[in-house]
Amino acid sequence: MVGIPLILLAAFFFPGIILRTKSIVSGRKGPGVLQPMIDIRVLMGKGSVYSTTTGWVFRIAPVIGLATMLAAILVVPFAKMHAVIPFQADFVFFSYMLALGKFFMIIGALDTGSSFEGMGANREALYSMLIEPAFLVLMGTFAMLTGFTSFSDVFTAFHLSENPIITVFGLIGFYLLVQIAMIENSRMPIDDPKTHLELTMVHEVMILDYSGFDKALIHITTAIKFAVYGSLICSSLVPSDWHPGYQILLFFSIQAGFAIIIGLAESFHARNKMQKNAKFILTLTAVAMLAFLVVLIVTNKLII
Amino acid sequence: MILSFGIFILPKSTRYGYTLCLIFLMVALTSVAALFPHLITNPLPNLLSYTVPDTLSSFFILLINFTSATAFLYSGGYLKPYYDKQTSLRWSVHLWAFVWLYISMILVVLLRDGYSFLIAWELMAVSSFLLVIFEADDRKVLKTGINYLIQMHIGLLFLLVAFLIAGKASGEIGFDGLKYYFSGHSNILVFCLFFTGFGIKAGFIPLHTWLPEAHPAAPSPVSGLMSGVMIKMGIYGIIRVLFSIQSDIFIIGLIILGFSLFSGIMGVMMAIVQHDLKRLLAYHSIENIGIIGIGIGIGVLGMATGNNTLTLLGFTGGLLHVLNHSLFKSLLFFNAGSVYLATHTRNIDELGGLGKKMPYTAAFFLIGSLAICGLPPFNGFISEFLIYLGLLKSFPESSLYFSILLLITLIGLALIGGLAIFCFTKAFGIVFLGQARSKHVENAREVSTGMLIPSLLASAAILAIGLGSVWFVKPVMNIASEISGANPAELFSGRLFETLSRISVAGGVFIGLVVLIALWRNLHLKKHTVATGPTWGCGYTAGDEKQQYTATSWADNFSSLANPVLGTTKRAVHIGENDLFPHKRHFETHPVDLFKTKMIDRPINAMLNLFKKIAFMQTGQIQHYILYAFLFMLLILVLTMFKIL
Amino acid sequence: MFYLLIVLFAGTLVYISTSERFRSYAKLIAVQGVLLFAIALMELKTLDLGNLIFVSAETLIFKSIVVPYFLFRIINTTKVYKVHPKAFPSFYSLLFSMVGLIISIILSDVLKNPSLDAVFLMIALFTLYTGVLLIITHRRIFSHMIGFLVVENAVFFFSLAVGSEMPMLINIGILLDIFVSVLIIGVLMNRIGTQFSDLESNNLTSLKH
Repeated sequence: MVGIPLILLAAFFFPGIILRTKSIVSGRKGPGVLQPMIDIRVLMGKGSVYSTTTGWVFRIAPVIGLATMLAAILVVPFAKMHAVIPFQADFVFFSYMLALGKFFMIIGALDTGSSFEGMGANREALYSMLIEPAFLVLMGTFAMLTGFTSFSDVFTAFHLSENPIITVFGLIGFYLLVQIAMIENSRMPIDDPKTHLELTMVHEVMILDYSGFDKALIHITTAIKFAVYGSLICSSLVPSDWHPGYQILLFFSIQAGFAIIIGLAESFHARNKMQKNAKFILTLTAVAMLAFLVVLIVTNKLII
Repeated sequence: MILSFGIFILPKSTRYGYTLCLIFLMVALTSVAALFPHLITNPLPNLLSYTVPDTLSSFFILLINFTSATAFLYSGGYLKPYYDKQTSLRWSVHLWAFVWLYISMILVVLLRDGYSFLIAWELMAVSSFLLVIFEADDRKVLKTGINYLIQMHIGLLFLLVAFLIAGKASGEIGFDGLKYYFSGHSNILVFCLFFTGFGIKAGFIPLHTWLPEAHPAAPSPVSGLMSGVMIKMGIYGIIRVLFSIQSDIFIIGLIILGFSLFSGIMGVMMAIVQHDLKRLLAYHSIENIGIIGIGIGIGVLGMATGNNTLTLLGFTGGLLHVLNHSLFKSLLFFNAGSVYLATHTRNIDELGGLGKKMPYTAAFFLIGSLAICGLPPFNGFISEFLIYLGLLKSFPESSLYFSILLLITLIGLALIGGLAIFCFTKAFGIVFLGQARSKHVENAREVSTGMLIPSLLASAAILAIGLGSVWFVKPVMNIASEISGANPAELFSGRLFETLSRISVAGGVFIGLVVLIALWRNLHLKKHTVATGPTWGCGYTAGDEKQQYTATSWADNFSSLANPVLGTTKRAVHIGENDLFPHKRHFETHPVDLFKTKMIDRPINAMLNLFKKIAFMQTGQIQHYILYAFLFMLLILVLTMFKIL
Repeated sequence: MFYLLIVLFAGTLVYISTSERFRSYAKLIAVQGVLLFAIALMELKTLDLGNLIFVSAETLIFKSIVVPYFLFRIINTTKVYKVHPKAFPSFYSLLFSMVGLIISIILSDVLKNPSLDAVFLMIALFTLYTGVLLIITHRRIFSHMIGFLVVENAVFFFSLAVGSEMPMLINIGILLDIFVSVLIIGVLMNRIGTQFSDLESNNLTSLKH
């Protein structure tokens, strides 16, 4: 229960830290860390313009996007305290809830009848299809390692420093979670959030026609999504039996570190050629299978 | 049953109402029989063995009843435009075939004796054939129907052979004789025969080639009924056989799992590149049969390794998906039929913007799409969740090879889910959203309320199973434990129902959140200005609806990845680099079913060529035929003389 | 630490099967050389100084420095930077690579033997598979050479797998490595490179005529 306000608090600062990191690395001073939140506030004060082609699907899509995100937080734990509604195999629920949000964003984009948004929606559908196995294989290996199937139980039983092989697995898992988070939020190298040319966009072009309140909802959803993945990373790195004070401190520092890593990766990476993206995302599934291999060794299924 | 012949006698206008009453009567009777089996006394003990249904049969009876009732309700509205075009005889044959299809399906799940089972099976094939060729004026429809009938008979042949082999050993031809046979002989051969025979009906790849042809050709309520219930009869048959298997269990499970994974992934991959709406839905049926097969396959593997959790969860997930699929597939077919009725085209590339003209149809299609992709809080999620749960819980205690098998299944299921989302965003988005892509859409109007009620009923059931999963899973799990002999008590007392009820709570919270945020949004919009304008066009002043994404362009980036496997043919003359003012060009893509071309068309063509070569012997003159007979008698004489014969 | 190196090596193999640029191949060969050096050091910690210098010279100096230097020279002289435009799609190479990982895990379990080190056997099989996949599915000679170098690394791992039984085998394997690599690169750089600037293996078949 404690986890939810922490995640929301981290979401507050997350996009700002990414933006600030990118600015500092490019030699500018950059906007303040709270700037994206001020932008959301400004958007909330505006009215909306809707396209005449759109129907109710377009209008409901951001609402459902945010609702799925909040519902997915229900199963994410914090430290030793279980999530709000934990249950077995709840990461399947988590994954499919996010998929529901993406489904609605895709059809919301198709509702505008514009070829730009069709392009973005098409790519988003393909990439989210390719990323599903990677996340589920990663969580499956966690389940195989710890013997539990719920986020809360898995992270309670997972001790990073128990065994050097488990540390290796933890590192692979960390790398995978960072990459998955970056792909789900359509960051580099899949998509460049700064360009607004349709040929290079995935997420940005899907939300092209949204304005005002709906756009604010979408930004909030993105921020929360970052924070949720950061919370998962934190749970996998920090042992759950440490003092709660340390936990909270480490939580925020890991979230900030995660944001800085994303900012650095974005500044120094070029965007992939669009045709290479599918192969790039499939590589993550291959890396997840490597993690599976490591866990096979750890659990003595593969006798060394 | 005898009353059904009355359809032919009545005047044309009242026939539909009469059939409706007849069907509802039978539905009511059989539902009561299914729910309270102990109330039945066996009236004809000599003619039909076992008319008292056991739990599996009751489950299937309820399933058949619900979808048949909704399908027939729907067909009332759907067939209205055909009322004047079809002759009186055709009309009554169609209605009569409906009744008999229903009867035969009920008989299939009730009968255990081999010969009567096969008679009911054949009845089912013939009556569905009659239903499929409703529009037989179109030559292609007739050809498709005959193709379907032939394939069904091939399946019947396999089943007959399997029953006979088992019956020879045990002396009893029927499902009950199987147990005796399986305990003495190797299980694999007969099981494979049964699997092929039932698999042709169910639609496993590569036995599926009739499905994508028959479903678009048939009228929509028939497609919905066939896809929702009739192909499940194949699954029913396989499960009945699984009741009796004794040995080689691991290999059988592996066979089922392998074919199912293959069907699931190939089915949805082929669905993505289709541009006919009903063909797309037909390929999705193949995919869902794959998912059901995955559930059953891992259930059997659990039986082989003694893993109770895996067995129960696998079978429960598979069986529940049978129910779920019948609900959302019939829903999708009904609404696709409404679209066809309103626009007279099934080609997705010609539709668009129907959401505004047919809002209820669009909403129901959306619910069906979300359910078929397995998204919460609908019912598809529950059955896939059960299969996932079974897989994940079995990871820790499995051996190396089994873990790798589970991993492959996990990746396969995840891929199927993602591909289904890719496909249904295309189906829903391009048909109902955006702007109209051709003139077909202009006169579309919402269909009558009578046609919407079945969709409403199915959607209500979908939502009920999705949110109230606990009540539905418990009886299905009892059936699963009967099949496998595993004890569900451990799971019951364990956290399974806690898990399911928490999923329902989470689903409820989600819906509550949607309502809350939507209210916040409405409140917000009241205070601020809301304007409308055209979609942002990046400054293009001549943009029109032709620049939207079409079904083919949506599927393009996927099909270029999957081209070696799918074999879509593209015919286009490319615009050259120096072509500054190109002439009009033509572009055509055509999805090709590789299994059909390689497995069916090629051998048939080879056979036809062979026959053409010996066709010279058919001269039409009777003297030549008498000569042939005489030569044959001479040959027999010679062979007996040399004692060869 | 040891398993981290193994996993990194497997990661470079996955990366080789997805990449399309020759410079990446050369860099990955260099990285593999460094990883092999570290692995060899950890495995052979019971040896004397002579053996140590020999092994480190082979892996570090030869595999990580000399061979990539020559590879970069070949790339720059022949000015061929990428795989053939109509090459086997890298998406499918990646799929095959994933299948190969599963197959090598299963095979190493089937070929279990107390005298064999299973982890080395598994990574050796995976490396062999990737190398052979490179040779079979690519059209340019440079890729074939890279595939052959990867197969060399597989032989090194095989020798490490049985190394506990026959310590001299590792040294012999390393010598073979040096010999054949010099042969191939020397021949390629000097002879064929001057005749065919295209470096297409299809052209080699017309050599006979």
